[in-house]
Amino acid sequence: MVIKRKNIFKNESAWSNADELFLCLDTGSWRTQRPVLDRAKCNYCGLCALYCPPQCLKDRGDYFEPDLEFCKGCGICATECPRHAIVMAPEGDFADEGKKGSG
Amino acid sequence: MKAKKGQVRVITGNAAAAHAARLCRPDIVSAYPITPQSEVTEMLSQFRADGLMDAEVVEVEGENSAMNLVCAASIAGARTFTATSSYGLVFMYDALLETAAYRAPVVMVNVNRETPGIHAVSSGQQDMISTRDSGWVQIIVEDCQEILDQIIMAYRLAEDYDIQLPVMVNYDGFYLSYLAEAVEIPLIEDVDRFLEPLKKQPERPKLVPGRPVGCGTHGIELGYVEARYKHCMALERVLGKVDEIDRGFGAYFGRGYGGQIEAYRTEDAELAILVSGSAAGTARTVVDAKREAGVRVGMVKLRLFRPFPAGRLTAALRGKKAIGVIDRSVSFGWPSGPICTELKALSSGLGSVPILSYIDGLANMDITVEHIGRVIDETAAAARGEPYQEVTWLPLES
Amino acid sequence: MADKAKKKSRVFDYFCTGEQFAGGVAWCAGCPLELIARFVPKVLGKDMVLVGTPSCAAPVFHGQNVGAWHKLAYYACVMTGVASSAAGLSRYYHRIGREATVVCFTGDGCAADVGFQPLSGAAERNEKIIYLTYDNEGYMNTGNQRSSATPLGAATTTTPVGVAARGKPTLAKDMPIIMAMHHVAYVATASPSHLEDFAKKLVKAKAKKEEGFVYLHVFCPCPVGWRIDPDKTIQVARMAVRTNYFPLWEAEDGHFRLTQEVAEPRPLAEFTRLMRKFAHLNEGEMANLQQVVNERYALIKALCAMGKPPA
Repeated sequence: MVIKRKNIFKNESAWSNADELFLCLDTGSWRTQRPVLDRAKCNYCGLCALYCPPQCLKDRGDYFEPDLEFCKGCGICATECPRHAIVMAPEGDFADEGKKGSG
Repeated sequence: MKAKKGQVRVITGNAAAAHAARLCRPDIVSAYPITPQSEVTEMLSQFRADGLMDAEVVEVEGENSAMNLVCAASIAGARTFTATSSYGLVFMYDALLETAAYRAPVVMVNVNRETPGIHAVSSGQQDMISTRDSGWVQIIVEDCQEILDQIIMAYRLAEDYDIQLPVMVNYDGFYLSYLAEAVEIPLIEDVDRFLEPLKKQPERPKLVPGRPVGCGTHGIELGYVEARYKHCMALERVLGKVDEIDRGFGAYFGRGYGGQIEAYRTEDAELAILVSGSAAGTARTVVDAKREAGVRVGMVKLRLFRPFPAGRLTAALRGKKAIGVIDRSVSFGWPSGPICTELKALSSGLGSVPILSYIDGLANMDITVEHIGRVIDETAAAARGEPYQEVTWLPLES
Repeated sequence: MADKAKKKSRVFDYFCTGEQFAGGVAWCAGCPLELIARFVPKVLGKDMVLVGTPSCAAPVFHGQNVGAWHKLAYYACVMTGVASSAAGLSRYYHRIGREATVVCFTGDGCAADVGFQPLSGAAERNEKIIYLTYDNEGYMNTGNQRSSATPLGAATTTTPVGVAARGKPTLAKDMPIIMAMHHVAYVATASPSHLEDFAKKLVKAKAKKEEGFVYLHVFCPCPVGWRIDPDKTIQVARMAVRTNYFPLWEAEDGHFRLTQEVAEPRPLAEFTRLMRKFAHLNEGEMANLQQVVNERYALIKALCAMGKPPA
């Protein structure tokens, strides 16, 4: 029998190793809407950052800013913000629609 | 270097199993009681209580939990032991598959008993047969001494870096579990010395808090195939390793069992019978009697069941004019018994001779001297070219 | 610019450990499980050992071949073996003197149904593990089939609504109460809407697991299965607490205590109207469900009032 494969697993059994291969999905390409921040309204309470499931809100020192790389567009940040500082806008409105990178 | 003589005591098969586990210094022991195994769990708990065994003994609420528990502990690096039988063995079936595929070197005794459906609290090998595709190494032993010795050898095999597979040691419920025989219990220091080579081998993978490695990843396409392939190849390596370990055990403790099979008086035999478990003891005496009467019969005792010892069976049985196989179980979907059906896969190597199947010993009905005598007589007739019955259910035809 | 900038919430103090999960992982948009999963290691520490099984968590917790979506050590096993596997790990780590926080992370489908027996056994033996169940009230990873944690009347794919059926015909098992009746070291309910409360309970869980078994039951509304707008899932969790549908309590060594007293519980309709799984309920069914909620809450109040319940 001629085996033409290289080892996927180093060991006898199937173990994963995050140091060898740390996976990541391009979830930023999922969204159909994106959060837009009105910085003037932000009071740095951090609720958006706490409740964002993929943890996409970045601490900028005195305000929180959406980082769109992995944002799925769920809208929780906008709903939870007590100051309505974040609104969700259709992804199609933006020139860099569906692309990675900060907003 | 040889082991010192151990203490000879008259103990049951279950007690022999418990002592063997104790001697191998397990870290984690977990089992659920079930007839005819319960004594094993009781003795292990008592050893701990008496300070004779320094292991965590976990009295779980079911066999499925027992296997999951020892498998996980094994993956964390523990040496583990469990014991079960029939209903318990099939209750832990998902964990059984997982343990083998995770390549966790768990050692377990399975005290053979009939499986659920026709409720039976009696001896039979149906439980072992029901789990033959679990991926475990499966060995069958004949008497109480062999139970003890084989468990020690099982750790040497399971934890070998080239193997990394769980090992199931099967012994007949009722016939061996409750039978008291003289058993030499080795000194624990000698068992330590026998297992010492394992410490010099590379470390197998372990689950360590803080290290980003995970056991139980999804197998995707070729990853799955690779894992299955490596598992099957490891089972291939078990064949030679079993013989090697048996030779080492024999040299050190003075008791050898032949490894994958024991071939008894087969060299100049014209015909042979294949048996396993405690029936081999009876068969040996009948073979001797038939030899006295001029029948050139030999016996092969099947010890290693999984992986199936194709090579050594072929070598021992090639050239025999007929072979009679006694199965202590049935093969659903094939007329002949399970071990007989598997032997038939070697037909081309054996020379396409008559292979007669005998189903006997179910539900604690003895495989008697008369039965074995009949098996030999009918196999001899087949060897002479006379007509023969392919499959015989001895309890129904006696 | 915010010249009246408030200090960040105290919960951020628990974010001492860095993010253990990859930025992009395959959980539904708006799923509180993602919030819970990312949050737990930040409180419990990055050397916690995760024990997982098929569930919504599995596609992210378990790797794909050699790749992994997070940096935690994990052990994935069959659903029938979660609590028992965790016990095996915990017992061995203790034996060799290795510090370890073994955390089972399962859905209600495992905890209440197929994995209940080993969970009950491990609890009775007071195994030193944390068993965390995220309760999305159904088998969600396989497409919203009912579990024994699915509430009375809820529509699922296996308890659908039609001319001959009105959703699930039976009440849900009360898992946290059942686990508290195993007389374990610590039981608590938690909600992703109340992160401070959740964090305190995680901290306590880590301490209590040195003494014995810890069970955490975390509410986890499922936007897909319950048909909630993805941006409302945290609101749904909050409303569950405010209507007493999901009271927040803890039982430490058998002493029950509400950790969030709801002064004026909202009517249940304020919770059910945020989702579609109860949309078919008529007035009578709704009143019945409100009764169920009231009685469940009354039971917890009574347990709290008892001090320590009889063993």
